[in-house]
Amino acid sequence: MLTALAFRNLWRNRRRTLLTLTAMVVSAALLILSLGVYSGMIDDMLTTTTRLYHGHVVLAAPDYHARRDLHAHLPAASAELPLPAGFAGLLGRTPRLRAFGLLSAAANSQPVEILGVDPAREPTVTTLHRQLAAGRYLQPGETAAAVIGSTLAKKLGATVGSEVVVVTQAADGSIGNDLLIVRGIFTTGDSRHDGRLVVAPLPWLQQLLALDGRIHEVAIAIADPLQAFAAADRFSAALPAGIEARDWGDLLPEMREAIVSFDVSRMIIAGILYFATALGILNTCFMSVMERSREFGLLLASGMRPWGIRRLVLLETLFLGLIGSGLGLVGGLLLTWYMQAIGIDLSGTITPITYAGSTILPRLRAVFDPANFLLPAGMLIAVALVAGFLPANRAARLDPVEALREE
Amino acid sequence: MPLITLADVSKTYRHGSLEVPALANFSLAVEAGEFTVLAGPSGSGKTTVLNLVGGLDRPSAGTVTVGTLEIGGAPAKILADYRLRRVGFIFQSYNLIPVLTAAENAEFTLMLQGVPRPQRRRRVIGLFAELGIDGLEERRPGDLSGGQQQRVAIARALAAEPDVILADEPTANLDSRTAEELLDLMRDLNLRRGVTFLFSSHDDRVIGRARRVVRLEDGRLAGDTGQRP
Ligand SMILES: Nc1ncnc2c1ncn2[C@@H]1O[C@H](COP(=O)(O)OP(=O)(O)OP(=O)(O)O)[C@@H](O)[C@H]1O
Ligand SMILES: [Mg+2]
Repeated sequence: MLTALAFRNLWRNRRRTLLTLTAMVVSAALLILSLGVYSGMIDDMLTTTTRLYHGHVVLAAPDYHARRDLHAHLPAASAELPLPAGFAGLLGRTPRLRAFGLLSAAANSQPVEILGVDPAREPTVTTLHRQLAAGRYLQPGETAAAVIGSTLAKKLGATVGSEVVVVTQAADGSIGNDLLIVRGIFTTGDSRHDGRLVVAPLPWLQQLLALDGRIHEVAIAIADPLQAFAAADRFSAALPAGIEARDWGDLLPEMREAIVSFDVSRMIIAGILYFATALGILNTCFMSVMERSREFGLLLASGMRPWGIRRLVLLETLFLGLIGSGLGLVGGLLLTWYMQAIGIDLSGTITPITYAGSTILPRLRAVFDPANFLLPAGMLIAVALVAGFLPANRAARLDPVEALREE
Repeated sequence: MPLITLADVSKTYRHGSLEVPALANFSLAVEAGEFTVLAGPSGSGKTTVLNLVGGLDRPSAGTVTVGTLEIGGAPAKILADYRLRRVGFIFQSYNLIPVLTAAENAEFTLMLQGVPRPQRRRRVIGLFAELGIDGLEERRPGDLSGGQQQRVAIARALAAEPDVILADEPTANLDSRTAEELLDLMRDLNLRRGVTFLFSSHDDRVIGRARRVVRLEDGRLAGDTGQRP
């Protein structure tokens, strides 16, 4: 009966309750949506950094990561090393060799990073092959072919089919140079890749660098990038001496910090939004308690204890919180679903932004993460209870004699 | 031994620095089964006496005893339990909870006592029949007349089978015919169930029906007819 009483009390001032509920539902739904969009941005950032180029986990010689030392190479068979069995979510792994040099076309020369890849395996780890603006990706078995960034192509005056010359230092100290034909041009939105990355066949680069059968790293993609830390630890434990696994957080410390700062701003937004909501609930609840002084006086006269009254008022705000968070959840799910399925394309308005070593794409897109729903919904219930606490205490402390005298 | 004893009771309310004396050296003894009215002009202290006897308030001086319970010294918990089990209140403005049905209002104290639902519903249905409001169980107070609402309030006060019913001007909001009916009903309950009734009124017709009239003036005893046959 107390439950029924609390529930019915909620609807005594229908309009006031509905207004408060609306505020709660809107704030919860918007919070859920914005968390979804935030997660979408993080996801985009992670994807652009890791899936575009780095991979989630990279196996390399211990000092390769810091210095990109040409001589810190591994046997090509490192790409086939057994990894801990039963590790779910391994999407692919691919061997790579890397060099730095100059790329020249008829017009001029540009400093470049040359990444030697296996055209058959690279697409299982990175997505560069999907970012082509012109031409095609490398084909297995092909030599002396290259896919280059669009900014680089523009600077060099190169197009698909152009011949370009690579000059770099080989491992034996000689100068390696060779001719490449541009087969494709990619645009990622990331200026560092678009302006200086050259992707070429691995065997061709091995020959150029006099590093036959050698590679610099093995890039690995896993299903959940946020599991990369755990995966890197497990891989490291299983790897032979001289090879080390690093996760993207190590490779891109700025990115890791960016995600942490996203987490913080997420909490700030939630805090601000819910603070305003809490004030609304507090106001509604206080008004409804003040109007019912006589009734609380009666309950006290009937032998109800103060904690019974406190419980009654808290039960009312709990119901308010449950209804608000339930409806907010539905609203948030619908909005997130819309933003996930359709999204909003902003590429007409803004260009991609490079931030913390990754790219924020010009689109709003939400991803579905249960935490983004459960956190706002649970928090709203907690906020309602906290906001109900003061009015509940006020009601419980009423003096029955005074309360019954009130008109 | 009387059921209710007020011995030399004073009660002073404080309004900031202003002290309002509501009762001054007031003494009264009420035996179990009495049907007694507190009469007196507005502000004479009637409600104050009822609040003290009902354990809603404590005396500033003197003692209020009901049965073996000394109200002034009892902890809040004991007083709440006392109100729950031994006292029924009836008010001038009925004080029913508008969102509960008539039956739920009457059941409320039983619910607080932890009486299981079927049992308390049975008791309330019996009471409603006894009070002539059967069939109104599922109505909300807003859909009842003043007389019907006050009968529901009486059912609520009686449901827990208290020793004492304290009624503060129970008929003041009712027309005189309904008031008389209600008074007859309370008297009938007093006779059949032996519940002690202590109520307040300044309506002469109501006062005329009581078996004992205690008069108050400015918080002091101004007359007591004693038990009349
Ligand atoms: N809670 C209170 N705070 C301050 N003064 C009070 C309080 N309760 C009663 N009084 C004062 O005490 C005096 C007695 O009040 P009480 O309510 O007992 O009178 P009453 O006989 O019931 O009057 P009425 O017929 O108007 O109900 C009055 O002067 C009243 O103003
Ligand atoms: Mg009064």
